[in-house]
Amino acid sequence: MIADEASLAHLMRASQGGDKAAYRVLLSEVQLWLERYFRRRVAPAQLDDLVQEVLMAVHTKRATWDPDRPFLPWLAAIARYRWVDHLRKVYRHAEDELGDWDAAEDSDEEAVMARMSLERLFVHLPDKQSEVIELVKIEGLTIAEASERTGQSESLVKVNIHRGLKKLSALIEKAE
Amino acid sequence: MTMNPETGRISNSLIDDLAADLAPVRPVRLVHGIALVALAAIATVVLVELIDGLWRGILAGRASALFFIANGMLGLLGAASALAVLRMATPRVGNSHEGARWSFAMLGLLPATAVVTLGIGGSIAEILGDPYGFECFAAGTGFGLVTAAALVLWLRRGAPVSLAAAGTFTGVAAGAIGSFAYGLACPIDTLGHLGVWHVLPVALAALVGRLAVPPLVRW
Repeated sequence: MIADEASLAHLMRASQGGDKAAYRVLLSEVQLWLERYFRRRVAPAQLDDLVQEVLMAVHTKRATWDPDRPFLPWLAAIARYRWVDHLRKVYRHAEDELGDWDAAEDSDEEAVMARMSLERLFVHLPDKQSEVIELVKIEGLTIAEASERTGQSESLVKVNIHRGLKKLSALIEKAE
Repeated sequence: MTMNPETGRISNSLIDDLAADLAPVRPVRLVHGIALVALAAIATVVLVELIDGLWRGILAGRASALFFIANGMLGLLGAASALAVLRMATPRVGNSHEGARWSFAMLGLLPATAVVTLGIGGSIAEILGDPYGFECFAAGTGFGLVTAAALVLWLRRGAPVSLAAAGTFTGVAAGAIGSFAYGLACPIDTLGHLGVWHVLPVALAALVGRLAVPPLVRW
């Protein structure tokens, strides 16, 4: 069970004040939340690195959360930012295949989660862009393999990845 | 990165390290950012007064309605864009910057009106031949640097996740506030002059901001 918005906000408020025990609990909860948030959108072998990156970003940028505003939309914005950055950098190795990897749907924060999910970003992309980003950046196919799978030329695959990532980075704060 | 073989979870060592490193922080508050931009805008107006001298005709009632409309639009666009940038420093899914976008579009009415009303009548040469036009354009752009510096400083302190938008609106805010401030020193209040030469700094600064600001605020 992942803590709810109110508990996380309470822990973050205490953390900004320097409460180390509250911070340890907060980071553990955030870690769980992120693992669930990134599922299916990151290769499992890279998930830990990405979660670690976001935890460090949360640490260095913790002053940028305004205690008068909700915590999860702030965390989601940072998670999305690091995820898009990650997609830019990472080519997955063939052995890191995505599996069925569902975390338990165990929270009553589902509606909030869905609104901020990574899927919300993909729906804003044309199919030809989201398809090649998924194939190359998430599933780890080569440009040539993605070209063969989609029927797009190799140069078009590259152009669509580039344009898609550019668009994703412009959509980070967009909720729907 | 180490994994716990039983749980598959990341080792707690990172969390322990981050917790050990924890120090109290003062949250980045929007109201402090607003105060910073307000100070930058006031400093810009003071600079204009010291360097060029504000137009005394404003208080004497010699300024036309267009003077107040054009400079009012620039001032409001500057405020809306600066507010959008300040909000981008404290990110969240659901942040919307529509106000700044619409204000920017609204300012486009001035040059559009100038070109349509003056251009069709063959007076476009009057706009381009304006002897004071380039001076106002350069001064408005230059005076925008004060606001630009304040906003970049704020963004670097924050965690902007929409870098292209942050850069563009930093430029728009800087150009609009710079042109607004210099506009208080400019006694030429014709549509051709205000609608073109006092709006161009906003367009140029938006372009420069889009290109130059993201590398400065990336994190």
